[in-house]
Formats: sequence, C-alpha cells, structure tokens
Amino acid sequence: MEYTRRSVLTALGLGAVAAATGCSASSGDSQATADGPVEGEISLLTPLFEGSTGKDLLEGKLLPAFKQKNPNVMVKVDYTTYAALNEKITTSLAGGLMPDVVMLGVGWIPPFAHKKVLAPLPDDLAKRYEYEDRVLEPSRYDGKLYALPMVLDTRIVTYRKDLFAEAGIKAPPKDWAELREMSKELARSDGSGKLTRVGFDPFSIDLRQCWETFLFANDGNLFDESGQQVKFNDDRGVEALQLFLDVVKDKSADYSFKSSAGQPTTLQQGRSAMMMSNNSLWVQLKQQTPELLKEDKVGAFILANKVPAMLQGGTMVARSASSKHAAAAQALVEFMGTPESILPTAQQRGSVPGVQDLRTSDYVKENGFVKLALDNMSKARSEGGTAAWMEIREKIKTTLETAVVGKRSAKEAIDELANLSKEAISRL
Amino acid sequence: MSGTMVSTRDRVRAAASGPSAPPPRRRGLLRARRRAGLLMVAPAVLHALIWIGIPLVAAIVLSFTSYDVLTPPRFIGLENFRDLLSDSVFRRAVLNTSIYTFFTVPVAMGISLLIALMLNTQLAGRAIFRTAIFIPQVTATIAVALVWLWIYDPRSGLANAVLSFLGLDGPAWLSSTDWAMPAVIVVGIWQGIGLKMLIYLAALQSLPTELYEAASVDGASKFRQFFSLTLPLLRPATFFVFVTSVIGAFQSFDQVYILTDGGPANSTTMMTYEIYKSAFREFRMGYACAQSLVLFALLLFLTLLNRRITGGDRATR
Repeated sequence: MEYTRRSVLTALGLGAVAAATGCSASSGDSQATADGPVEGEISLLTPLFEGSTGKDLLEGKLLPAFKQKNPNVMVKVDYTTYAALNEKITTSLAGGLMPDVVMLGVGWIPPFAHKKVLAPLPDDLAKRYEYEDRVLEPSRYDGKLYALPMVLDTRIVTYRKDLFAEAGIKAPPKDWAELREMSKELARSDGSGKLTRVGFDPFSIDLRQCWETFLFANDGNLFDESGQQVKFNDDRGVEALQLFLDVVKDKSADYSFKSSAGQPTTLQQGRSAMMMSNNSLWVQLKQQTPELLKEDKVGAFILANKVPAMLQGGTMVARSASSKHAAAAQALVEFMGTPESILPTAQQRGSVPGVQDLRTSDYVKENGFVKLALDNMSKARSEGGTAAWMEIREKIKTTLETAVVGKRSAKEAIDELANLSKEAISRL
Repeated sequence: MSGTMVSTRDRVRAAASGPSAPPPRRRGLLRARRRAGLLMVAPAVLHALIWIGIPLVAAIVLSFTSYDVLTPPRFIGLENFRDLLSDSVFRRAVLNTSIYTFFTVPVAMGISLLIALMLNTQLAGRAIFRTAIFIPQVTATIAVALVWLWIYDPRSGLANAVLSFLGLDGPAWLSSTDWAMPAVIVVGIWQGIGLKMLIYLAALQSLPTELYEAASVDGASKFRQFFSLTLPLLRPATFFVFVTSVIGAFQSFDQVYILTDGGPANSTTMMTYEIYKSAFREFRMGYACAQSLVLFALLLFLTLLNRRITGGDRATR
C-alpha cells in the first residue's frame, strides 16, 4: 500500500474521531445496576477531604470503618479542590477513567444525570434518615434520586454587634431598604473620603452565590421547574443586582473591599459591619479571632426582602454509571451518607449536616451559624435546576461583574446573562 | 581602500550569513549520511506526529462538532466558528491577548537586552545578578503569582505601600478594570526577562571580537558599534526571542488564572483562559477546539509575518 499525505491525514482524522467517540461511549451510556457482590477496587474523587485534617479523617477514621463493614472493597482516593473538581471530572470522563464514586456540588446533579454519567440510587435511601425536607431536592433529577447529601453550606449575613451598638442600631435589617439605610449609617471614611469601613460587604463571597441569595430573597427563581425556561431576567433578578450597584453608589460598599483568601474577613478586621458569609465562617472566627466569639461581637441573620431566603450549597456523593463494581460503589455512597460519616465531615469544615438526627448534636449546638442555618432550612434555596447548569454557572459571575464595575446597567447585564443561558439550554 | 581590503560592514554581513556550504561529497556517502540523518530525526518526528500531529488533527475534526465529553461528538459544520464570531467575550480575549503581547514582548526584550549587555561586561558579582534575574523563569508561576497577589493587595501590598511613600494613592490593582491588565502585564514582563536575557547573553558571548577590534580601529564609537555591529549580529537571537516570546505571550495562562480569574468583568481574560473555560468548566470541547484553531492560526500568521519582515529565515540559516 502506498502512503500518500492525504491517506495518512484521513487515517489520523478518523482515528481521532474514533478515539474521541470511544472514550465518551464508555463513559456512561449504560445505567449500571448495583446488583452483585460488594467487592473490588473502587475509586473515590473528593474535594471534601482535601488538606491534612480531611485526609486524616477520611483515611484514619471513615474508610477503616467502611472497610470493617465491607472487607472485600478497596477504596482508592483521589483528592481535589472544589475549584478543580469540574476539570478533574471532565478529564476523567475524556480519559474514560470516571471515578466509581464522586462528590459533587449542588446544582451538578441535573447536568450529569441528564448525560447518564451518574447512576440512580434506590429511592428508599431518601427515607433512610430524617432529612430536612428540601435537602434532598438538589439530589434528584427527573424524579429519581442520584445522590446523597453529605454536608450543606449556606449563605447568611453576618454582622458586628459592637458596630451596630456603636451606631445605635438595635436589630438587623428586615428588608433591603433597611439594609441600604443601615449600610450608609455603618460605613466610615477617612478625611479624604476614602472608605475605611463598609457598611455592607457583599463582595467577599462569590458574586454568583451572593446574587442568587439576593434573587431568592426577592422571591425570584433561576429557571422554571422543567429547567428549560430562564426565570431570573424579570424585575426580581434585576433588582437583586441593582442593590449591589446601589450600595456602591451610596459609598457604603466597594467592589475592591474584600479580603484575600486565607486572610481574616473584612468583618473580622472591623472593615465591614455586615457581610455575606458562608456558615463555615464560625470555624474561621474560632481559629483566627476567637475573642470576637468570646465577647459575643458577631451575629448572623437570614437575608430577607420579599421573603427570607438563604442559598444552600453543599457536597453530595453519587455513584458513576460506568462503575465496574457498582455494588461496592453504592455501598460507599450509602456509607458516606450515614450520620456517622456526615457529623465528623461537617465538623472538620464547619458545614451544616442535613440530617435532622444531628440537630441535637453538640457540634450543632455549639456552632451558632450552623444552628441558624438548620433552624431556617425551610427558607433555603439551591442553585442549578437545569441540565445546562455547568455552562451557565461559569457565565454568571463575569456577566454580573460588568454591571458591578459600572460597564453596563443591571438590566443589560441580566439580559445578557439570560441570552447566554437560553443559548446554553438550546444546545442540550 | 584597495579591492582586497575587507570593510567592517562586509565582515558583519559574512558573520551574519553563517558558514558557507560544505564541499560536494560522493553520492554513496551522501545516501548513507541521509539515512543516518533520517534515523536520528525519527524519534523527534514520531514524537511530533503522536503528540502534536494527532491532537492537532483531533482538534480540527472536533472543532466541527458539538462535543461535551459526556456524549459522543455530533457534527455541526461551521456552527462553532459562527458562534465564535458573535462571542463578545472571546473577542475581548483576543483583544486582551494582543494587548498583553504588544506590551510584554517588546518591553521584556528591550530590558533583557539591556541587562544582557550589562552582564556581558566585567561587572563585579555578575554571576549573582545572572542567577537572580533568571530565578523567576524557574520558579513555579503559581508561587510567583501568589507573591504578586500580595504585592497588589490594595491595603497591605508592597505596590501601594511604595506609592503611598511617594505621596500617591494606589489603585485597587486587581479589582479595577483599568488597572488589572497593566498589573498582569507587569508580572508577564518581570517573569519573561530571565530566559530572554540568557539567550541574549549567550548570543553576545559568541559575537566575533575581531569585528569590534576592527570597528575600533575604524574609529567607531561604542554607540555606533552597538547599532552597526551588535544589533545586526544579534538578529538570529532576536528573531528567536521574538517568535518564542510572542508564542509564549499568546499562551500565557497561569498568571491570569491565579491573579484575576479573567476579571474583573473579563478585563484580563486571555484566549488560552477562554479555551480552558470552554473545555474544562463548561464542557464545550468542540467549541474549545474551534477557539484553539483560531489561536493556532493567529500564531502561525504572526510567525510568518515576522519571518517576512525581519528576514528571519536568512537570519537563522
């Protein structure tokens, strides 16, 4: 056979397509069942136990306990961070090496379940423990259960009681009008007019999550129930973004006024009087500024406007549809979803356990933010809700940011985001 | 001057054009040498075919598909390229990458040449200087970027502390749409100086000293020697540094990833960063392949253009 340039290129092209198709075809076309013996070597991809403390907990306590119950299962752990989780899953899928058990964020189940990457779980697992009502919502897709919640992370507003008292403010704001007024009263500037303390810091947490919390507090929705229609581009979504622009305009907030990763937050430093926070801030307060907790200087409340609402994120554990040891993988998922696994995991990260049995645990009683979150779980809302979420979530922060830095109006930014979201949904 | 005398300019031309062609050999010997040559380049060719050729072909093929990694690719013709034309963020990324390249490459090249010239003299402690200047090149970009994150911190960072000492009010470097790109460019320049300096230094040390002696005899000043001797003789090195710098600048990713995450409001997003986001965060592999092809085409165009303008082909022969 004579090899010409054209024949070689054609062969290479066909090979590339075959390789690409082959990889994806093996990545979960079939819905593996969990029948069979609970044995074999399985892999676990987790962002929840990164760092030495998490690794010690997982390998020193949780996995030995799992091994005791399932002696024929060997678990290989692949640690990652939340920031790298997405690309880790992408590369695993592209390479045909999807982990048997994977931990995912809230909002991630519909995209992966839609593409049949995840295997559904028996529905009775949802009744195994007394879950907070809405906690299982993000675990479901198309009426089926695809994951079990491990820990939840809520977005609440934290505030400095001492700064409130100093300004003569007796109670946290009930709606955005009050929030805006209080922010003005609490903000401080130096002689040149430069802000030294913001009244409200919405920018130290992810802008996407912050805006979603405001959207939900304004009784808005991201998508309709089918996940096919964009709902956030009405007045409620625009008003949620407009509030950020208003507090900046009032000179009671500033986009550059945020703390760097690892540093004490603006609230801890006394550079903000109110701040959007994750409930895990309690652990950070204990480690970095314990005096603030000891002297009862920090409080927290649920954001409210038309309705009180908090964003509920978290980490769920699911089984890959392509697992060769489905029964072993399901056993690990079930084990990770037990209160015995959830409590120490929540404890090491300052997260909220979603099982009502743990409401009376010492950990929940001692952690003021976790207790507040659990007490208000009925007001929690989650992001996601569409199979196109993985693409849309990447667009939210950068698009909203254009309004926050003054490049376009809130309405223009929201309209742009709606268009991008509609395009993403149309590609499904 | 008599006809047998060779001027400095002729010597420069002769030195720049490289050694003359070897004398003719016997045909059999040539064939054996050719075979040996082919054998020697075979590993490199194989490597290029497997690790560059196949991915390149795969990228071209996948750019005409809708491919999300999770399900098999679906042929969609030119749709990805049509989407690219209306993608304002990608257009912004192309502009940002061009701005970044426009400012980092010439500035870093100029500074590198200046430092190389200084370090090519009998400067006391020049080994220490060479090491210090080269260190950023071998330091992990993540570590470098983390240090720069601190430098750019609006309240406790070094940059604003220095400005404050001078009585100036420093900006919020990485949170400002006006200042984030200049801040990233400064990091790019600083990090790129080491390798360029090293190449220039190596080139300077290989320059024929007799030319400079002849130029001195001809009465050329140091300034004249630099422009009439050093710069022309450095043309091969300059071509190499320019091409690799442009490619490097167009492929810069790490500093943006750590310093700004492409923000604020896409003011620092780069082409490579958008490709990464499309592929690994948004699961749009086909679209990312189309973006990669645009980057590839741009780099090819710039390299060929530069080759034409600077006569790089002759310079490197």
